[in-house]
Amino acid sequence: MANPARRIDTLQTVELAEGIEIHLRVAGPYLRFLAWFIDLLSKGALIAVYALLIGMATSVLGARIADGFISLGYFLIVWFYHVLFEVSKSGATLGKKALGLRVVNEAGGPVTMGQSMIRNFIRFFEMIIPIVPLLAFFHPRFQRLGDLAAGTLVVYSRARLDPMMPGPPPLSSVPVNITLTREEEAAILAFRDRSGSWSESRRAELGNHLVSITGVDDAKGVSQVLGMANWLEARR
Amino acid sequence: MNRQEFEQKRAAEWQTFEINLKAVEKNEDLPSAAFIPSKFRKICYDLSLAQYRMFGARICDRLNSLAIQGYRSIHRTRGAFGEGFLIFFLRTFPQAFRRDWKLFVVSSLIFWVPFFLMWWSAHREIVWVQSLLGPESMSSLEGMYGKEADTVKHLRQQHGSNFQMFAHYIQNNVGIDFQLYGGGILFGVGTIFYLFFNGLHIGATVGYIDYAGDPGKLWQFVAGHSSFELLGMIVVGMAGLKLGLSLLAPGNYSRGKALARAGRSSLPLLLGGASMTAFAAVIEGFWSAQPITPSTKYFVGIVFWALHLLYFTVVGRRGYGA
Repeated sequence: MANPARRIDTLQTVELAEGIEIHLRVAGPYLRFLAWFIDLLSKGALIAVYALLIGMATSVLGARIADGFISLGYFLIVWFYHVLFEVSKSGATLGKKALGLRVVNEAGGPVTMGQSMIRNFIRFFEMIIPIVPLLAFFHPRFQRLGDLAAGTLVVYSRARLDPMMPGPPPLSSVPVNITLTREEEAAILAFRDRSGSWSESRRAELGNHLVSITGVDDAKGVSQVLGMANWLEARR
Repeated sequence: MNRQEFEQKRAAEWQTFEINLKAVEKNEDLPSAAFIPSKFRKICYDLSLAQYRMFGARICDRLNSLAIQGYRSIHRTRGAFGEGFLIFFLRTFPQAFRRDWKLFVVSSLIFWVPFFLMWWSAHREIVWVQSLLGPESMSSLEGMYGKEADTVKHLRQQHGSNFQMFAHYIQNNVGIDFQLYGGGILFGVGTIFYLFFNGLHIGATVGYIDYAGDPGKLWQFVAGHSSFELLGMIVVGMAGLKLGLSLLAPGNYSRGKALARAGRSSLPLLLGGASMTAFAAVIEGFWSAQPITPSTKYFVGIVFWALHLLYFTVVGRRGYGA
């Protein structure tokens, strides 16, 4: 069964072994690039702070031990900064957390250490050829190569980005005399569920897409759609 | 059943499911864990019903997030750490190695052919080795393994304490492993480059010491950790080649699917190989530079190489999927 919500919302459908379909709100490349950039800065800051602390402790540790700690810390930060944050409870590095994103597996669950290692070690080489990360634009789930290899997705950590507001209650219900497809029915109901947060002209603009069903356009069309939604609602 | 009835009838159960999940997640109220699978199935049923009948975003969102939470909780794999560790090294890793033994041959050749070529060239025409190493590393090699050099003393001067050497080897060698793996995504070119280059460089080092220094000192130093370090690198090379191969020759799958499969199946090789290299760093840092008689060092080295042969051919044969 094709999901009627697919074209209304920016949701990706994943079918689980239980035979159900869940929806994930996948994050786009622009936000992910910003998150990556924030992480780059935080890694730099982390290395600087770590080197500073070890530098201050040199008199206690001795120069050679301190140098060893610098090597180990550098190794951990360079290779495991992303990994350790992604397997933590929040599932997000500092940059992703700041932008409300998280890394999940393809069923929406937390990623394993191995998955996180795969996606992050591959990223280093994707960056060498700058076009390669941009390929994520063309993937329906915005997965870059590392995500494909690891079986991971980057999603919004909140289910809804902004609360939905139903439109104003209609004055009358409008009976629907033609047979609607599932997609049309879903569109009419979604229109009612969300139109409260749109401006007058935006409502009219979107309502005009349904002219073939309502027969009238603009403000009249909008009240017609809301009336139809009310009638459909009353029947379920 | 209309939406209102549906919600009225089921809402209480959704709530208890959510509460039970949270409690189980925090390891409280464990007896209720027994009911989670059956409740989860009901949630699945409710979700598909609500989706099919288009009961609206409010109910569908709620059930969607409940289904995701339930799925996470049921399918989470958190075994005991020690048990997982044992299973990995006694079964998963050697089995994954044997499954891709052909790649081991390829990966070994990419490393050993330039290695022996460089070594051999040192006896024929030292210029190749000299131009590859450069004056700085040549003088440092002479200090370490030269005819009059005191290897251990030189290493101490250069690297200080054992711990410092260990840390340096971890950063350098395990880092190279990770680069080897990630480089596989460039159709395997990155992996091949690093393997080949390491072969050239190590071969040149051996060749130069053979030519200008005292090779015995080198063999004594590397004997103990050589098997872990070199085999670890070659095994990670297998994992990188696997990634590259999945893009070059995806077979019956789309390239994306093939890459996902290669990612999953290369993971044991990456983890196993990198652990071998990390263990090599422990030996190299804390044992290889100790003043022990050469015969002991050679003996230990040979035993480790033999154990590796045994490990990769024998261990984990009886388990599932051998």
